Amino acid sequence: MSPSTLLQLRDVSKAFAETVALEPTSLSIDEGSFVAIVGPSGCGKSTLFNVIAGLTAPDSGEVRLSDQVITGATGHVGYMLQKDLLVPWRTVQDNITMAARLTRRVTNDDRNEARRVAEQYGLGEFLRHYPSALSGGMRQRVAFMRTLVTHQSLLLLDEPFGALDAQTRLEMQQWLLQVWKETGRTVLFITHDVDESIFLSDRILVMSPRPGRVIADLENPLERPRDLDSLTDPKFIELKSRIMRLLHGGAA
Amino acid sequence: MKRSVLRNVGIPLLSLAVLLGLWQAIVVVFNVAPYIMPRPFDAIRAVTDNWSLLWPLILGTIRETVYGFVCGALLGLGLGVIMAKVSFLQKFLYPLLVLSQAVPIIALAPPLVLILGFGIAPKVFIVIWVVFFPVAVNVFDGLTHVDQDLVNLARVYGASRRRTFLQIEIPASATPIFSGLKIGATYAVTGAIIGELYASEGSSLALYQEHANSNLNAAAVYGTTMVMTALGISWFLLVVGTEVLVTPWQRRSVARRPLFRRRTDVVESTAHH
Repeated sequence: MSPSTLLQLRDVSKAFAETVALEPTSLSIDEGSFVAIVGPSGCGKSTLFNVIAGLTAPDSGEVRLSDQVITGATGHVGYMLQKDLLVPWRTVQDNITMAARLTRRVTNDDRNEARRVAEQYGLGEFLRHYPSALSGGMRQRVAFMRTLVTHQSLLLLDEPFGALDAQTRLEMQQWLLQVWKETGRTVLFITHDVDESIFLSDRILVMSPRPGRVIADLENPLERPRDLDSLTDPKFIELKSRIMRLLHGGAA
Repeated sequence: MKRSVLRNVGIPLLSLAVLLGLWQAIVVVFNVAPYIMPRPFDAIRAVTDNWSLLWPLILGTIRETVYGFVCGALLGLGLGVIMAKVSFLQKFLYPLLVLSQAVPIIALAPPLVLILGFGIAPKVFIVIWVVFFPVAVNVFDGLTHVDQDLVNLARVYGASRRRTFLQIEIPASATPIFSGLKIGATYAVTGAIIGELYASEGSSLALYQEHANSNLNAAAVYGTTMVMTALGISWFLLVVGTEVLVTPWQRRSVARRPLFRRRTDVVESTAHH
């Protein structure tokens, strides 16, 4: 294990009844990197996430975070889904401090941090609003802040922008890159959108279904910082066509 | 704000006035004899004129309703939670719950008198009997339909079952829980009156009405019915008011300022450094 490896999976597999959701999979994720996992539905992406998060116990294999075995244990990673899962009965500020509330008593430090994060990322005026008053993009931002203040070094994001319209999604992607740069977290990002996976990541894992497995592990050569022009960069196009061939068959 | 108060209070009051107007119109137009159907004003006067006699009886009914409702609601809450959490007990208890509601309440009164006598106990028991069921069923439905992704999120954060239950599952079930309480509230006064009618020998609101009936005092009969109805509506409104108070997020987009800051927070934040 190299010193900069944050997450390591060794021969992790999972089957549900007759279906192999995830073939024995091994991979390591470097600290501070942004890794995208792209694949069609049913390729075991979410199973992989649930195993890492400790929600699903794998049939075999081992999950290590910072060289500590966390197989089947919860409470070690940040986690965010396409559904924002904000609770309607709490204000924006109280939703951001939700992880604290679920494990211990919320302190003034927690509240102050929530306020600071919300102000820093443009939601300072909405601290006392209920989620029902927010737009879809704002809600996803609150959900991300809630993930951020758990202070977990690894963030698992499962299609977090999947339900947003194209315009908002593009804004959110740029916002996420900015936050990632500022906070230095490690991100594992599931998406079925190839453009999104290239625009955001340092590295892309391509998965295929039946049985779910990683079929390619690609370095992303696109320079940072990235902007709208990156989407038409020849390196972008080249990588995209390669992933498309991997996903949809044909000569790779 | 002004406008919404007018709509939320004014329109229900209007419908009440229309009902009384309709009553008055029927009596006048069809020339109904006062010993069959008195005019609404006469019925109201039969109440106000005898207020000193009625008030202790009303208090008695309120006492039975409150005791029975509180116990029934707690029982229903407990049963709903147990059934949602332990699948064996759900299968074991559900048939008994349904069976309990299939028993005609009136047929319940004689054995209750044999067991509990004629005091407040049999009335409270009947109120519990009619209140716990809608509460239990709604609590059970609410708790078993909480978004599992939300529960999983709590697990990912490392939340205990107790905190997940208190912080996620209970508030997520607020709407069905209050539906059960509202249905229970409308049944509660009816239950108390049935209890008074079939399980009392002393004085009670229901027996007062019986007495008025046998004296052919139609105004008092109708007036007592109005009092009982008003009790039912008041109890229902009290539950609705409680729901409005404890679920502000369902009507507001911005939270009110808290009335007080929890002291423990300040203590803790200094203790952390």
